[in-house]
Amino acid sequence: MSEVLKQLYSDKYRGPAWLEAFNQQARSQCSELVLPGRKTENWKYTSLRALEMEQYQPLAEKPALVDHDLAHLSIPQLDSIDLVFINGYFEAALSSDLSMLPQGVEICLFSEASTTQQTIILQKLGGAIEQNKHLFACLNSAQLSDGLFVNIGKNCVLPKPLQIVHINTGIDQAYAVNQRLLLVAEQNSEATVVERFLTDDDGPAVFTNGVSEFYVEADARLSHYRLNMEQEEALHIGNISALMQRNAQLNSFSLGLGGKLKRLDLTVEYRGEGAEAKLNGVYLTQNQQHIDYHTCIEHAVAHCTTSEVFRGIVADSSKAVFNGRIHIHRDAQKTLAQLSNKNLLTSNKAEVDTKPELEIYADDVQCAHGATVAQLDDNSMHYLRTRGVSEAEARVMLSFAFINELINDIKLSAIADYLRPELVNMFSTDDGLKRHLL
Amino acid sequence: MSQEQIDQLITKDYAAGFVTDIESETLAPGLDEDVIRFISGKKNEPEWMLEWRLKAYRAWREMVEPEWAHVNYPKIDFDALSYYSAPKSMEDKPKSLDEVDPELLETYKKLGIPLHEQEMLAGVAVDAVFDSVSVATTFRGKLKDAGVIFCSISEAVHDYPELIKKYLGSVVPQKDNFYAALNSAVFSDGSFVYIPKGVRCPMELSTYFRINEQNTGQFERTLIIADEGSHVSYLEGCTAPMRDENQLHAAVVELVALDDANIKYSTVQNWYPGNAEGHGGIYNFVTKRGIAHTNARISWTQVETGSAITWKYPSCVLKGDNSVGEFYSVALTNNYQQADTGTKMIHLGKNTRSTIISKGISAGKSSNAYRGLVRMNPAAEGARNYTQCDSLLIGDKCAAHTFPYIESKNPSAVIEHEATTSKVSDDQLYLCLQRGIDTEKAVSMIVNGFCKEVFKELPMEFAVEAGKLLEVSLEGSVG
Repeated sequence: MSEVLKQLYSDKYRGPAWLEAFNQQARSQCSELVLPGRKTENWKYTSLRALEMEQYQPLAEKPALVDHDLAHLSIPQLDSIDLVFINGYFEAALSSDLSMLPQGVEICLFSEASTTQQTIILQKLGGAIEQNKHLFACLNSAQLSDGLFVNIGKNCVLPKPLQIVHINTGIDQAYAVNQRLLLVAEQNSEATVVERFLTDDDGPAVFTNGVSEFYVEADARLSHYRLNMEQEEALHIGNISALMQRNAQLNSFSLGLGGKLKRLDLTVEYRGEGAEAKLNGVYLTQNQQHIDYHTCIEHAVAHCTTSEVFRGIVADSSKAVFNGRIHIHRDAQKTLAQLSNKNLLTSNKAEVDTKPELEIYADDVQCAHGATVAQLDDNSMHYLRTRGVSEAEARVMLSFAFINELINDIKLSAIADYLRPELVNMFSTDDGLKRHLL
Repeated sequence: MSQEQIDQLITKDYAAGFVTDIESETLAPGLDEDVIRFISGKKNEPEWMLEWRLKAYRAWREMVEPEWAHVNYPKIDFDALSYYSAPKSMEDKPKSLDEVDPELLETYKKLGIPLHEQEMLAGVAVDAVFDSVSVATTFRGKLKDAGVIFCSISEAVHDYPELIKKYLGSVVPQKDNFYAALNSAVFSDGSFVYIPKGVRCPMELSTYFRINEQNTGQFERTLIIADEGSHVSYLEGCTAPMRDENQLHAAVVELVALDDANIKYSTVQNWYPGNAEGHGGIYNFVTKRGIAHTNARISWTQVETGSAITWKYPSCVLKGDNSVGEFYSVALTNNYQQADTGTKMIHLGKNTRSTIISKGISAGKSSNAYRGLVRMNPAAEGARNYTQCDSLLIGDKCAAHTFPYIESKNPSAVIEHEATTSKVSDDQLYLCLQRGIDTEKAVSMIVNGFCKEVFKELPMEFAVEAGKLLEVSLEGSVG
């Protein structure tokens, strides 16, 4: 184990006894893994140097609840079941009353799971992720002490979106958070899950190592929002993976604001025919920030459909990395897969590295991918200029429009309405213009 | 198409497979500094050339074989290869075609390159390489009048040491990669071309390669220098005899296009691909790269149908402002062939432009990967790239992959990449069948249409050969 790994790895996490075997297995896997470097294909463009800069140790115990108001962090129009984690610890006082959940819906912490729930957790946990390929997921498992378990029963419809908010605030030293979510959407169930990652005050130096696993059973429908909106100081490495059974549907939206180090791996694996996934994503980076999205779609069976659109605006001296892999296995005939990645580069010092990959082992498939890197279109600029719009304003309008196309596609209008002003703020400080755009 | 039809069609043998028996002088297998001294001594090379080779060899020893390519093959034992082989009758260099071993000439005839006819009919000067030693060079007189130098690298080392010293390794340095280093250490022979300032080369230059000696690695080295404002079109074609043993081919091609120069490099590659069970065949690990200076243009066109394994990325370093790089490729794999091929376009200068059109066709149980890199450096103001790579799958056991790397550090640079994968559509086939065109012919037509954009970039002489080659390769593969 390298020095950095040793430092990230901690025995301070002590989980419940029934997780011990699971931890142990991951631990032995971990010891064989090495820290990825520039020569590691999947980490070619993303350096882990930021992890070495500070001592990211887990907090020894639950810190006292911050006294300042966190209300400004909520999404105003969103009527949801809220689960709030502060610095990695569940905060019941800020969360919704879980006793009111409809029949068939179970939400609990691992530490409070019943014996039946423990059995399901142990059965599913780690099953959606190839731990030997994802060092950080493995690390997460090795020191897993608690997590969130959500089970949507057969034919159940979650009446409101489930919002899981991770807020990091009020700690003045570098620390690490091990986040874990396991969600099972049983047959023909329906759910919307919003995962938000935020930092408050000046942005503490937190390293979040997150793993979210989704089991989408036959005919189930899952909408997933992953909003990574932490401030620049926060480090985040996240693994999100979904296993899709027959006719399952996944609708996913990712938003990533840059940071010192942000890396998100999204994996979708089709296990049953007729399943569909739609993955949209937007990333925006500024200053010295960095963001890296790696998506991987495993078409292991026939008749599945993927549509993926990621767009990014990369400003200042920041860097964005996108890697979109579509892997069509031998028997995955009649697959339809589309991937598009478009990038706007707005500064001389910014950098984009994108790699849309197709790996195809079946012949009766339709696959296409496209990638572009450019600045704003001259013709569009000219059009706006001829209509008396100043160049600066035209830039803001066009940049915003570039990502607004994907925001408009968001089903949950409360989220779209919440995101638009947040994003416009990144382009302009001119209130008049902002009002105009919203 | 039914499985029976597919099976029926996968039966075509390699048309250019035969072995010519010529007594060869071959070095015992293995590689050390003595072998390099031997090769260098054999060629009467000056001391600086030997040093250059040794430097490459020492670098090579420190390097490890690259494993990132999407291909699988048993590990090569570099000590089991022989690094030099020359046809024996070549000890005394023939001054004209009459002095050339008749059996050798017979080989070319079988390949359809009768030198005499070519001299008169095609107007193509052929610097033919049989195994490792340059055998015959034609049309040198005519080229000399134009001031064009077209000879083997060995001759150039003696006759034009200044040019060799200046340019050899200037595009592909000795330490560039594992196979380039190996080539630099042991390269046997190859072609050297120099086009003087402002000269438009009066004819297409052409070299035919042929691997003939069993267990002999072939290490060709090509260096083409187009001086300011000059223009040259170079053709490279290969075909190799049928063999059971795998043969390693690690060539290096360097192109230097000085200001306003134009180099067009076309390849028809038909090394022996191995038999239908995947035995034998050539390993083709090639490094090809060109540097384009201000306003220069480098264009790579390739038709790849052969080799058991292809590992080849003809690249352009667009160093000068307004320089242009082009890559047009058709890669066809059949049976158990594996290809990992593509290009690199490195944009350094302002307003540099590059176009990549890649057509991959996989049939049988083969695997065909496009791997490309487009890099816009911070100074590449107003640079432009357009990439299109399409894959066609024939049969349900084959594989097609696309790995494009796109790196941009300049906001005014525009990069567009698109890739599609599909199979020969049933509708298209049905339409042809309905009009009385049989399946094989129909697929051939559809594939030819699929490759049209690339074929039209080939010089006339090659376009015919390429079309025919594809047809032959497809006859044995369609499904």
